[in-house]
Amino acid sequence: MIPRVEPGTVGPCPVAADALQGIKRQQTNPARWNGAGWQAFADAVRAAGVELAEGAIACGVYLTDAGGTAYGLPHGVVIARSAAQISVLLKAAQAHRVPLTVRGGGLTTEGESVAFGGVLLDMTGMSRVLAIDAAALTVRTEAGIYWHSLAEELRRENLDYLSAPLNLTSSVGGTLGVGGIDVNSARLGCSADQALSLQVVTPTGDIVECSDDENAELFQRVILGYGQFGIITEATLRLRPYTPLSMHYYYYSSLRTAIEDLQMLDSNDASDYSGILTIMDCAVNLLVAFDSGEREAAFRKNWASRLRGFGEFGFALSMAGHYALRPWKFREALYLLQRKREVFPEFRRTEYMRDGKMHDRSVVFSRAVWKHWGSRNMVIPDLATPADRFIEAVERGNAVCRKYFRHYTLYCVGIRLRPDHGPHYEMSCIPPAAQGWAYGCEFEPMIEGGVYSRDHFQSFKNAIYDIGVDLGASYYRFGGMMKGYIRRVFGDELVDRHLAMKRRADPAMILNRDVIF
Amino acid sequence: MPAFLARMPAAARDYSACSGCSLCLLVCPMWRSRHDPGFSPEGLAKALQCGATAAALAPPLDACSLCGACDAVCPERIDLSGMIMDLRRRLANSPLPDVPRPALPDDLHSRLQQGAPATAPVAPRSAPVLLPGPALRADAALLAQVQALLGIAVFDDDGDDIALAIEVGVVIPPLRLQSFLDSLRGHSIVAADGLLLRQLRRWLAGSQRMGLGAALSTRAAVRSNLGAGDLYVIEPRAFHADYERMVGFYDRLQRETGCSFNLDLQRIAIPAVAPGMAQNPGFAAGDEVQAKWILQGRSPARIVVESLADRAVFGRVCDLPVVHVAELGVDPQMMKEFRHAFG
Repeated sequence: MIPRVEPGTVGPCPVAADALQGIKRQQTNPARWNGAGWQAFADAVRAAGVELAEGAIACGVYLTDAGGTAYGLPHGVVIARSAAQISVLLKAAQAHRVPLTVRGGGLTTEGESVAFGGVLLDMTGMSRVLAIDAAALTVRTEAGIYWHSLAEELRRENLDYLSAPLNLTSSVGGTLGVGGIDVNSARLGCSADQALSLQVVTPTGDIVECSDDENAELFQRVILGYGQFGIITEATLRLRPYTPLSMHYYYYSSLRTAIEDLQMLDSNDASDYSGILTIMDCAVNLLVAFDSGEREAAFRKNWASRLRGFGEFGFALSMAGHYALRPWKFREALYLLQRKREVFPEFRRTEYMRDGKMHDRSVVFSRAVWKHWGSRNMVIPDLATPADRFIEAVERGNAVCRKYFRHYTLYCVGIRLRPDHGPHYEMSCIPPAAQGWAYGCEFEPMIEGGVYSRDHFQSFKNAIYDIGVDLGASYYRFGGMMKGYIRRVFGDELVDRHLAMKRRADPAMILNRDVIF
Repeated sequence: MPAFLARMPAAARDYSACSGCSLCLLVCPMWRSRHDPGFSPEGLAKALQCGATAAALAPPLDACSLCGACDAVCPERIDLSGMIMDLRRRLANSPLPDVPRPALPDDLHSRLQQGAPATAPVAPRSAPVLLPGPALRADAALLAQVQALLGIAVFDDDGDDIALAIEVGVVIPPLRLQSFLDSLRGHSIVAADGLLLRQLRRWLAGSQRMGLGAALSTRAAVRSNLGAGDLYVIEPRAFHADYERMVGFYDRLQRETGCSFNLDLQRIAIPAVAPGMAQNPGFAAGDEVQAKWILQGRSPARIVVESLADRAVFGRVCDLPVVHVAELGVDPQMMKEFRHAFG
């Protein structure tokens, strides 16, 4: 039985063994709210004209998140329709002390968007694009919109967002609250950095516009704030002209060498897009891409020859020689062939290629992710570190993957930090010691139809997260910063300061309870 | 050969495989109009996982247009359209008195019982035949143009009663279905109804089938009259029923002619009308929101449609010339040859 835990405190974790000696296991999933006062709350919101759905059929779609290891049902569901409606809901939730869990695309992996009782607010009901300013290169949109739906509207104007997770069903509001990385983040920063201003409904129901110039403290807390200080209902985002990509692929047999080359490219601004995707420990792909012919030509002239990776044909020859001398590893060679046969065509589908350029990268990448890595359990723990600690973090994480799963993939990308966004980054996914760039790595086991227990998945994730504690790192994609880790990463002083702010902003501690506090 | 090296298409799965990825929402017209997950294939699958009955799901079942876009994007390969059609069958055939049922044409059951009148075969076995559906049959001039372009005979029994039964969930009498399929066996089939085409793909596995729009756009006379100023509106049901092949087909058409399509960024066909069951052609007019969305931010010189329903809706929402794809390729000599061939 999961023990009851008071809001703002951390309890013991009833599942998953400790990964590292000396790191005490702590609460990973929230306790279920006991439902006290629910009926009075439901009556109040309905009387105020808010449509509240109850019952298993209405709530069942929200049973779990992309991680698929945390399961819980809310008492009721509200589909977001307006800031005013959300304001009514939050005021009632404060008055009746009913927990409110906000959900966008539901792509969290630790149950952050799963409601363990209380009311769940589905933000995808607010999915309209409100205004596109092609001259100023900005868009005002409701925050429940999926990035992909936003891209569909922007493309009609030949525009694109700056950066967004390579997953079609990430929502704008959810991403701004946790970070978001793209293969252009080494140049354009994390997705949250493209927000210029927000409309936020505070935990007490006030509707507030905020930006770096207006209500700046709220803006700083809401951006990368894990949904603790308000619900983002509208966002103004920076845009750019849409461009297709010229892709280049380099193949390495050493992860360390590939990371060194990635960081070399990033620090020299040598490409518009860069990232690493591993197939096996001995088969690592560095992708490099460009928005313009000029940038591509400059890369060819100045940087291509400095990369130590092979082209596809050269790497195939190298691997053939490698396995010819090691015939007992023929299964490994067959697996490599299989992956090449299955995955490579996904990135070269003719309907997305024109004149050698890839169109709609988010569609291509997201489809490949869902096809080859998606399943009921999207088990993707991650680490974000300063540049100088990244190789160590990746190699240690890779060793954990090897211990838990037969096959796995690593996805590594740089994240350029904005010096003026220091206040945004405080107690966020951006590692505290990072300067200039942070680096993120996702560790993605290939489930391949295998059956693993929840404890196995959770133990694996905890083992990755513990590396982060040990290295002073943070956790990136999908808001994987669980409550049980936050004090160990940031220390009591910083966490207590933010907790005090949270208690002032959210007196009943009802908003996204148990995610980090 | 090891199993993993063989490119075997995986079998379709059922609702229990839904992992809640929400990819189907992105392409679902009923979700787009409501932004309520209950009105989406994922919402239906998840509700079934929670024990919902067909009766409890009647509103979204009615609202679905069976465009098939969800089938094309589901990473779990769930037969979502099949799931919805199965639920409609359960709803239509429920013995419970208070279950909401779709309004049906009065004569549908009798037509299904009687079947098509027996006539002499219009074409020898292996010859291509056309199943035009009621809308095209009603437009004699356009039907003649279609026939002239394709050089194809109209099949007497075009199965429009079966197509309607599939759509609304009415059980098709086995004898009627068997006689329809037997009469088609051995023919190459061009069908105007995308839903019927989808089912024929299953019922007559191995036969050659094609949607009407795709068949017409293979004709040189049509392709030569398509250009960069054209917005070509693909009929979604036929497109999604054979998605992998059709994506490549229309991609080649785009490269050759320069026309644009009603495809989204995922290369899924956006329906011009998003009618639920109650608004389907033959029942009432559909809405215009989808057609306006297709046109948003675009400025074509002409709209080319594969479906007559689409011609009607674009005629209502814009002042652009709207032509059926068959109208692109007609010339007097061809019509003369057609009349000579088919009388």
